[in-house]
Amino acid sequence: MPIRPAHSSEKHVQLLAAATLSLPLIVLQGCSSLQHRQLASGMSGLPPVYELEATPFYPQEIHHCGPAALATVLETAGRKTDVDELTRLVYLPGREGSLAVEMAAAVRRLGYLPYPVPPELVALFDEIAHGHPVVVLQNLGLSWLPRWHYAVAIGYDLARDEITLRSGTHRSVLTNIATFERTWRRGDYWALLVLPPGEMPARADAARYLQAAAGLERSNREAARRSYQAAVERWPENLMAWMALGNGAYAGGDRDTAAAAYRRALSIDDAYAPAYNNLAQTLADRKQWSEAEAMSRRALEIGGAYIEDYQATLDGILRNKPPD
Amino acid sequence: MNFFRLHAKLACHIAAACMLFVSAYAPAAHAGIVGTEALLNAEQSRATVNAFLAREDVRGQLAMLGVDPAQASLRTDALTDSEVQALADRIDNLPAGGDLIGAAVFVFLVLLVTDLLGLTDVFPFVKKK
Repeated sequence: MPIRPAHSSEKHVQLLAAATLSLPLIVLQGCSSLQHRQLASGMSGLPPVYELEATPFYPQEIHHCGPAALATVLETAGRKTDVDELTRLVYLPGREGSLAVEMAAAVRRLGYLPYPVPPELVALFDEIAHGHPVVVLQNLGLSWLPRWHYAVAIGYDLARDEITLRSGTHRSVLTNIATFERTWRRGDYWALLVLPPGEMPARADAARYLQAAAGLERSNREAARRSYQAAVERWPENLMAWMALGNGAYAGGDRDTAAAAYRRALSIDDAYAPAYNNLAQTLADRKQWSEAEAMSRRALEIGGAYIEDYQATLDGILRNKPPD
Repeated sequence: MNFFRLHAKLACHIAAACMLFVSAYAPAAHAGIVGTEALLNAEQSRATVNAFLAREDVRGQLAMLGVDPAQASLRTDALTDSEVQALADRIDNLPAGGDLIGAAVFVFLVLLVTDLLGLTDVFPFVKKK
């Protein structure tokens, strides 16, 4: 669906016809399976009302809701920015807006962790109740007539069926939860939490968290490493968390921490070939040749998707190790 | 516009192909180490070269959409391989939050009605139930 509606009158007639025909459909779709009904039942375990009143407000300039929303959540996470700086990081002049993936990338460039909140109202509200305002992507219009907009969700009131947003040029917008849910659903439930590296979301999922932290490696290795450290503390039995910590430490030149993390990964799964391989390379860097060779051969024995890498590791060890 | 876009895209691909000879691996990877992004997205390590081409493609498209070329490079570098692959060739169609909307009377009327029904939330002056 193109963002810009066509401007010829013929198109308008077509669209009008489409609108007339599809209105009943839209209404029907609008009634189906909204999450807010479950919330109203009071089974969510959420505080019934919560508002992050202290959340700052950056009124947006035209088309700049992305940078304004980011500035709001970054300041809450501890990073004072200005909208102009963020505009350079996310605004796309040719689209007169900002892309969702670039919103996350900008957060990483500033050394913070962009955590994607699951597509559920209860998850969104739970983050708010834990002090985390959340950037949401709404389509305020219709799927075939979109008006994409970023706002910051800062509060909710289950009894009054309202959500509070910092939105556009309005410091405080109260919206009916069902209406918000429809606009958010049209934005594919995109929601972004901004955390200082090392801090956890209210509802932390290991895979989701590690994926977000891995994205940080390109922009800010130290921030990635702090996130991995938090991950192994939170999920000490998670294989991937230890692998990620090992790789993060290795990239920062810390071979001791890397080797210990790979060994810990192997204590969780002693048939995980990548851990043998990465440990082998780490030991080889430290010139512990015999153990390096043994670990490397073990990775090759197990094999799998990265078998070419394992072979390359062994070749390197055999090439570099001094003759017995 | 399409003509220029096509040629710029071609130029991007040629430039990307040349750069492949210099470096075929993402900066996050180290010799001998299987990287975290690869481990988390098992199918991606084999698509490294594709990701590299996609990255050049995105860099070129950002520049074409009005981003200063130096910034376009920095912005592309901050994207993960999977983000780059999601963006390549689709920048024109993905949602860009910015409140852009066509102004026509019928649009106003349709959205006014849907706003009143609580289906949309375009006009602040419409009081939702």
